[in-house]
Amino acid sequence: MLRRSPLILLLLAGCSKGPEADLQYIGQARSLGAEWALVNEQANKGQLTATYVHSMRQWLRDGLTTTASSLTQPDSRYGAEICTLLAEPDDAAPDELRVHVGRLKQIEDSLESA
Amino acid sequence: MNPLELTLGIMTAVGGFVDISELVFAAKAGSKFGYALIWVFALSTIGIIVFSEMCGRVAATAKQPVFSLMRHRLGLKLGLATLAASFVANLITCAAELGGVALVINYLTGAPYMLMAVVLTLLIVLSIWVLPFQWIERTYGLLGLFMITFAAALVAIHPPWGHIAGGFVPQVPHGLSKKELLTFGYFVVAIVSAVMFPYEVYFYSSGGIEEGWGPKDVLTNRLTALIGMGLGSTLAISILANSAQMFEPANVDPAIPGSAALQAAIPFGKWGLILALMGMFFAVAGAAVETCLANAYSIAQFFGWVWGRHKKPWEAPRFTITWIAIFAIALAIVLTGIDVMTLVEFAILFSILVLPLTYLPLLLLANDRKYMREYVNGALAKALGWFYFAVITLAALAALPLYLLTSGGNG
Repeated sequence: MLRRSPLILLLLAGCSKGPEADLQYIGQARSLGAEWALVNEQANKGQLTATYVHSMRQWLRDGLTTTASSLTQPDSRYGAEICTLLAEPDDAAPDELRVHVGRLKQIEDSLESA
Repeated sequence: MNPLELTLGIMTAVGGFVDISELVFAAKAGSKFGYALIWVFALSTIGIIVFSEMCGRVAATAKQPVFSLMRHRLGLKLGLATLAASFVANLITCAAELGGVALVINYLTGAPYMLMAVVLTLLIVLSIWVLPFQWIERTYGLLGLFMITFAAALVAIHPPWGHIAGGFVPQVPHGLSKKELLTFGYFVVAIVSAVMFPYEVYFYSSGGIEEGWGPKDVLTNRLTALIGMGLGSTLAISILANSAQMFEPANVDPAIPGSAALQAAIPFGKWGLILALMGMFFAVAGAAVETCLANAYSIAQFFGWVWGRHKKPWEAPRFTITWIAIFAIALAIVLTGIDVMTLVEFAILFSILVLPLTYLPLLLLANDRKYMREYVNGALAKALGWFYFAVITLAALAALPLYLLTSGGNG
């Protein structure tokens, strides 16, 4: 049994479902939201070119959409939070975006410690 | 010595250290673990300096590039298996770099990503076709130096230098959960792989032969390996440290390559952003050239074809067709729409599996006095060579389990 354990662990890592499997997507969504907030914050300070801001927002939104569609439990609390984040306008206030990031971070931390 | 002679090392290092994978990996390492992974960059940098110097010395004195050695030392079957695995690793890396170049132009100009992937691949092919080898390395190597913006950004934000210096001491951060420890382990392995990418030595040793190095160039080779790789490492560590300072407190765990450019924009504004993006463009384009040519060199050297960019394209027809075909296949991979970061993860994984087989024949030959005569490895080079061979073998064994257990370092 002990010899089989690493193999079983590897297989489980690839096939698991539920909050545990979604943890990596929650982390990705949290980071994408935080990057979006940072871009908007720097854009508001006039530190970035308009082309870069437009392009980054597009890639970040695409990333969030892919992350949301990868969730094994889209109807969960974190699924709803990611959808709310996606519903924000491109030029949303950084603090507004960070509220979602904070909530996702809380969910991430609670799942990690469970 | 003419300083321009260093450009082979600079291009190899800038394209090897701060290519698309490193831009994201170094930034992720900083945001996830602060300065705790700096020592892995430092340790791997000494490793790549040791092996680059060794392969340059073998190229200069025995006139043997790495893949030619591989066939003789590993035999046909194992040599062919190594060729196949390194071909896949380099091809995936080349595709990731082409996608990365298109992304950077998208950030700079807003031009459509897929269209830019096609246009820029054609331009890169044209640049290799038209430019002599020395001008290829000078163009991509020197213009890639715009990446120094990242080191300047680090100085400008006044980081805690004491903490950064502490990062050079080998360590595992305290208080990590089991899962975080596995992720830390994955990052260690991935950084070793990304810093010691096999294509760097294939390109560097073949480049030495392209430039007609002889025994008189042994010192040039030593300086080129030391300065080039040292510079590349400094840039990668700057990106890591910037990330620890700017991204970690903001909960940013950079998921797209464009985020790295923010590191220059925060202290320097729009001009910092533009310079950083230009540096990223030339460094990543240089890496695309390196990976493609490294693959073509490997195949041509393994099968004993006429090869080299010092010859007119039609004087080495099979070599020429090979590098153009590699670009075409890499572009086709990008055009499937696969995410650049997914390509990067696969490239790192494949590369580390090839590393021991790449460096073993080189080490055996450089240790062989009959072959190398007075240029044989000294006691230090021999000891370091075997030490790093053990390191990369351990990393290769750990790579796949860690990749699967941590979902490619994503948790």
